[in-house]
Amino acid sequence: MSIKSKLKNLWRNQPSNLGLLHEDKTGILKHREWRGIADTSYDYYRWLITWKDIILMSAKAPVSTVKGIYNYRWMASYLSAPAWVDRHTEGLRGPQLKMTHLHFNMLVKPTTDLINFLLANDRHFHEKSKWADRTVNVDEIFSSEFIAGFPNLRDNHVTTIPIFLTSMVDQNITPPYLDITEGYGVPADVCPLPSAEAGVAINDDYPLVGVCSLTCNMPCDGSIMNSSYIDRRFNLPTQVINVPLRYNGEDVQEYAVDEIKSAIAFVEEQTGEKWDWDAFFSAMKIYNKQTEYEIQKWEVNKTDYPQMTGATFWLYRLFYFHISGGMDKRFLKTDEKVNRIMLKAYENKVPCSKEMRHRAIVWSCPANYYTSLANWLENCWGVNVVMDMETMISYYMYDTEDPEKALGTLAKTLQRTTMRKHTKGGYQNVVDELWRIVEEFNADMVIMYDQISCKGMDGLNGIFDDQAREHNVSFIWVPQDLMDPRTISRRDMREHINKYMTTVLQEEPVDPTLVDFDDSLSW
Amino acid sequence: MKDLKYLYEFENLLQEANNELVQQAKKDGKLCLAYTCYHIPEVLLNLPGCFSTRLRAPRTGSLDISTYYLSSFLCGYSKALVERGIEGGYQHLDALFGSETCSQMNRAYEHFELLHLVDNEKFFVTISDVPFKIMPHTVKHYKRQMQEKVLDKLHDVYGVDISDNSLKKAVEEHNEVCRLITEIGEYRKEDNPRITGYEYHILNLITYCCPKYLIIDKLRETAEELKKRTPDKKKNYRAKIVVVGSEMDDPDFTKLIEESGALVVADRFCFGALPGREEIKLNDNEDILEQIILHYMRTSQCPRYMSQDKVEGRREYVRELVNDYHADGVLYEQLKFCEYWGYERALASHVVTNDFGIPSVCVDRQYTASASGQLRTRVQAFVESLEIKKIQKEKEAEK
Repeated sequence: MSIKSKLKNLWRNQPSNLGLLHEDKTGILKHREWRGIADTSYDYYRWLITWKDIILMSAKAPVSTVKGIYNYRWMASYLSAPAWVDRHTEGLRGPQLKMTHLHFNMLVKPTTDLINFLLANDRHFHEKSKWADRTVNVDEIFSSEFIAGFPNLRDNHVTTIPIFLTSMVDQNITPPYLDITEGYGVPADVCPLPSAEAGVAINDDYPLVGVCSLTCNMPCDGSIMNSSYIDRRFNLPTQVINVPLRYNGEDVQEYAVDEIKSAIAFVEEQTGEKWDWDAFFSAMKIYNKQTEYEIQKWEVNKTDYPQMTGATFWLYRLFYFHISGGMDKRFLKTDEKVNRIMLKAYENKVPCSKEMRHRAIVWSCPANYYTSLANWLENCWGVNVVMDMETMISYYMYDTEDPEKALGTLAKTLQRTTMRKHTKGGYQNVVDELWRIVEEFNADMVIMYDQISCKGMDGLNGIFDDQAREHNVSFIWVPQDLMDPRTISRRDMREHINKYMTTVLQEEPVDPTLVDFDDSLSW
Repeated sequence: MKDLKYLYEFENLLQEANNELVQQAKKDGKLCLAYTCYHIPEVLLNLPGCFSTRLRAPRTGSLDISTYYLSSFLCGYSKALVERGIEGGYQHLDALFGSETCSQMNRAYEHFELLHLVDNEKFFVTISDVPFKIMPHTVKHYKRQMQEKVLDKLHDVYGVDISDNSLKKAVEEHNEVCRLITEIGEYRKEDNPRITGYEYHILNLITYCCPKYLIIDKLRETAEELKKRTPDKKKNYRAKIVVVGSEMDDPDFTKLIEESGALVVADRFCFGALPGREEIKLNDNEDILEQIILHYMRTSQCPRYMSQDKVEGRREYVRELVNDYHADGVLYEQLKFCEYWGYERALASHVVTNDFGIPSVCVDRQYTASASGQLRTRVQAFVESLEIKKIQKEKEAEK
């Protein structure tokens, strides 16, 4: 190796032997990854920022935080957030590392704010608080744009912090809640997401905030049903929002808008606040800008030099889509920074990973307990995930002047939200849509999650198999159970991919140390 | 008790989806219109020249092919329909009317299209969007869906008369069947009922699966027969129960319960009479279709209705049934993998038992119940517990 190469390597190396970084089973890092001086420094700096945000959260409300840790099983899981970030940055270099860290920072910051908000206003701990009666509870995948029209109110995505996001940070937090629900009598074969959410309600582990609730029929039958468990715990005036299921037709749009109007009237009645069009339009201008940045990511990923691969893509999308609602301007700042880095890397034709062997689409709902699978795919097998189902949710732009048009867009956005855009409204939305995206992103591989408890997806297993043969793509089924790693572990998921790569494609791994390892006890 | 005259004939008719009466109606030139769910108002499929059939797959055997298409995690009912369709068992259908009210059944409908399961050029499948609560704008939406996805489609494809008069005629025929079934059902409130749950299940199921004009005379005769029927002096049961739950088109399930010592006195399940066999009362002032829609919305006890009034109303309804039919307990049944009833049965039985003080038990079951030893044991144990509770109550009363 020449001195120039050695120096270059010292500044920024290529990832190798990543499997040796971790302790067996617990997955705890033996030491931080050496990425060369530039990237190791940046990574370490960002790691410190994550800890800073967590410490700040505790410092803002120390008593409430201690009470939260003492009372809520899920609370301590957030202390493992830095390890969660590490799982998603492993093997990344240069612009990919920077973009991922910027995105993750914007997952951690608002999360710590939300935890802080919940604990500081929780009726379990405080009889009276600033926000308890000015907060509207909503379901986790209900978009925050709605509350942008009520600038004096806040929304609380009831299940997001206690269980939805926690299950991504710590794979072992969900099973106790699932056991509670099953112990109550709900069968074990239902989807574990709503089941775990019901478990949190049964165990009284939701921070009790809010003056009223908007509960919706999304994303699936299970979440329709668990709302009766959650409503029973919160015991607040509740309005059901019907989001049409057969949403492709214009015949349902009038009803969809009526539903939103009825929800606005309900919130006005319950809170005494008035819907504010100026505030709404102002937030939607930011929302539109964010959506423009999102679409630019997609456009770059369609080229031979995709820049935004891996899990960060959908995690960040999921998060800002539901939490920001155009109101949190920090997201836009992050988007602007990421956009600059991404376009520069694209112009310089920077490869997004050490080896780029396959362009893959990830389809169906991802496993919350293994959000970093796409990083493993890249590091172990050179599979770049260029698009996935959770990213490809609504990308309608809002009209920022005409109220009726804006409400129409809000209705359509809700219809095309996470986990339900594709699983509802007919097989065309998930089957035909997959093949359209495969073609558009020039993919040669589909990582198809077989989320065994998702009835909407299970019901199309055979059709996917039939049509995959016709489309001549590598179609890899990866069984998983969304929130329950006991049913199908992370290791089992990887094994399905390993088998396909070695037997069907007969390929050698990019990093052999990552092929098989046990992380059953890790966060 | 003496056997009912038509029971054997009805039992045989239920052995086939395309039974003799369905074939006869087809020969009479009628359109056979299938549906599965209460959210599609049955009466709209019984317009002149048409008859409804609530889709079943009796004598279901292997589900291998439908398991390939729908996986092993979908409910047996949706898989049995697709399997029977692949076997060619629904060639007699002229249309299938579905609603995206449950993901699993929705996928089953879609397979009728995707796999071209009915070899009939005019055959079509429509899937409607049905609301989750009752408000003026949701009624309007439901009405529009039924107008466009059911009535207009029937008119456009088959030239069916969808006028108000036509709807009124369908309602009249429907009401006559309902009156008869309700009249028969009233005997179940007796101290020692003159009709068993199994017999009632057969009679009621026939009204869902056969052309009504071909069974109405036999139902009338059965109603007359029951007026004079005397029950055995010694009661053939140890406890009366209300069965509440998901899709149930298998009378053998009721038979199994009754063989285990219980008497089913009320059937609050899909394909049951409560709700399902209430008369639709029309007035001349309001839109007829809207009145029909509202009837189905108000009477529906589907756990898919999310609004708090409906959620609480479902539990109250069960309490009323227990009181009206003098039942000792409630059996919540759930078709395995049914997401709706999986949640509903757990919470509702908790409320019914702990808040209302009514003993209840929850069971899950396969699409066909025959030869289920586990189920039999569960029911037997429940019956025994009801008996013990009765004895304890009597002792307490004596004190």
